[in-house]
Amino acid sequence: MSFDAELDAKGLNCPLPILRAKKAIAELSAGQVLKIVATDPGSVKDFEAFCKQTGNELLSSSEAGGAFEFMIKKS
Amino acid sequence: MAKRLSAEERRASIITVAKRLFAKTGFHGVSIDEIVKEVGVSPAILYRHFESKEELYQAVLQEFSATRESYVETVVADDIGFEQVLRGMTTVFVASIMNHPDMLKMEMHSQLEGSTASQEFFLNRWKSFTDYIEFNLTELQTQGKIKPINAQAAALMYQGIIREVLLLKCMQPTDRLKDTPVALLVDEVITLFMKIIEPKRK
Repeated sequence: MSFDAELDAKGLNCPLPILRAKKAIAELSAGQVLKIVATDPGSVKDFEAFCKQTGNELLSSSEAGGAFEFMIKKS
Repeated sequence: MAKRLSAEERRASIITVAKRLFAKTGFHGVSIDEIVKEVGVSPAILYRHFESKEELYQAVLQEFSATRESYVETVVADDIGFEQVLRGMTTVFVASIMNHPDMLKMEMHSQLEGSTASQEFFLNRWKSFTDYIEFNLTELQTQGKIKPINAQAAALMYQGIIREVLLLKCMQPTDRLKDTPVALLVDEVITLFMKIIEPKRK
């Protein structure tokens, strides 16, 4: 899946990955995609809640080798 | 004789009793025998659900992590600053611990007992704060918005004062600050904390 910007939030606990994603999304145009990589297991629920509240679209959420990857499309 | 429960209900009832006992005397202070006696089952039934005391302890921690605080609502608001987020996060965290004081008690026991796994679990909950404070104070300094400050020491200090408030309100039956509600106390200590983070004069 292609993306327009990437955010490395590895090693950070909630809410930092969310706050940094919020900042990164603010810099994107509508329709662009942000990829986020995090290691906090709580980030899965957090990004679901984040997208629900902000209206941005969570395109995918996956796990590989202890890291969680999210693709968020700016609405 | 305990009434018949489903396997799931039985498991939950064991966890509830174990949580209370672990909070009271720590991991090493409780035996499987004491737990089964309180639950009203035989050791064989407990071992059907949990292979060992370690596994039961982990299950209790697991249950706490299901009550993990969500800070999302606090941080998605527009144009929210460092102090507002910190206040919001702290309110969520303090309310959660006040609802589960056993978690704080188990944390204190775990500090003394020195099990790496459980210490990591509890430390991780505080890490939300220390990460947040360290990251933001470093960023605010880079942007020249605040005077130079040791961000790590500030984060440690914050963890210390909030933990002390929780210890006072959850664990120590004392008259000290008895008439000050926890929310007000937290509010006051955050105000004091913010005073050490001086904005840089133009």
